[in-house]
Parts: sequence; structure tokens; C-alpha cells
Amino acid sequence: MDNRIRELRARHNLTQDDLARTVGVRRETIVFLEKGKYNPSLKLAWDIAKVLGVTIEEVFIFEENLDQP
Amino acid sequence: MKKSYLLIFVALAVVFTTGVWFFTTGFAVSQLGVIQFGVIGLLIVFALFIVFSRFKSEWRGEPAEDELSKKIMMKASSVAYFISIYFWLGLMYYSDRVPDEPRHLIGMGIFGMAVILAVCWLVIRWRGIKNG
Repeated sequence: MDNRIRELRARHNLTQDDLARTVGVRRETIVFLEKGKYNPSLKLAWDIAKVLGVTIEEVFIFEENLDQP
Repeated sequence: MKKSYLLIFVALAVVFTTGVWFFTTGFAVSQLGVIQFGVIGLLIVFALFIVFSRFKSEWRGEPAEDELSKKIMMKASSVAYFISIYFWLGLMYYSDRVPDEPRHLIGMGIFGMAVILAVCWLVIRWRGIKNG
């Protein structure tokens, strides 16, 4: 799963600290998310999308496995 | 916050008991003793690192632990549990062949479990967690 957190965060002039404090997680979690090393819970994904003013689908890009029916 | 103070208390208790052990040996530590002191030192550094990162988060106005840190600890604990089972099996195999005092083996087992948990935590933290 890919995401556009870094890009959208920059658009809103938010630092990793700001975003972390707003959604109630540690800065480390935002770092992990941006690096693609962690897939968030639905609640966290929803909170991040809300803060960035977009929908969850616009922040998190889920790549479907085309081999599966 | 309580958890951070509990970690500090445990680390201090370990430092104290290690100090008592060191002084009762009359400063004559064997080669194995040096390795044991080294491992204890590393475990204390590991505990202090966790405590420091928790306090740093609190000073920044962030929670001391969140869903990622909880998941990392949960996964590290579960992986360390399985590895520890095989570690104890190895110790049992070793105790059958090399005669040693039971208290030494139990000490090695507890040491080993602490090291395994610390290593698992570091590896999972470095690799990250992806669901599915």
C-alpha cells in the first residue's frame, strides 16, 4: 500500500510533529507511514485523511493484486 | 507515565543487584562474568533507550505509546516467545551433556529470553510492520 502523506502534509504546511500531535500518535509513526513501513489502522487512516482534508482513498493507494480473481 | 517509571525502577533494581553481585565477587570476575556484565549493560541501555523515547514523546505533547509502538511490542513478544521455546530446548540439551548447577542454567535462560526480546524488538522496529 502506497500513500501520499508527505505530499499532502507539505501542501498543508504541516510538519511530521504537527500531524502526529493532531492525530494523536508519535512522530515515529508518521515517519514509518511515509516510508511505507507501516499500514495504519482504519481509525488512524481516517484521522489522517480528515486532517489533510481529503478522502482515505486519496491518501492511501491500495494496489490490487491483478493476478487474483 | 507509570510504565516509564516502572521501567526506570526495574533498570535501577537490575543495576543494584548487578552491583551487589560485582562487589560480592571481590572484584575477581571470570571471563564468563565479563560477558554476563556486558549483556546486562546492553539490556540496561536498551531499557533506558525505551524510557528516553517515551519521555521524549511526552515532552513533545505526543502519547508515550501509540498503535505502532504497541504493535511492535506485541509482535516482538510473540516472535520472542517462539524463539525462547527453542532456546530453552537447546539449554535442556546442553544441560544433559554438560553438568552445571541448575541455577546457572535458569540464569542463562532468563538472560537469553531478555536478549531475544530485545533483538526481536530492534529487528521488527527496523523492518516495520505491514498488515498482511
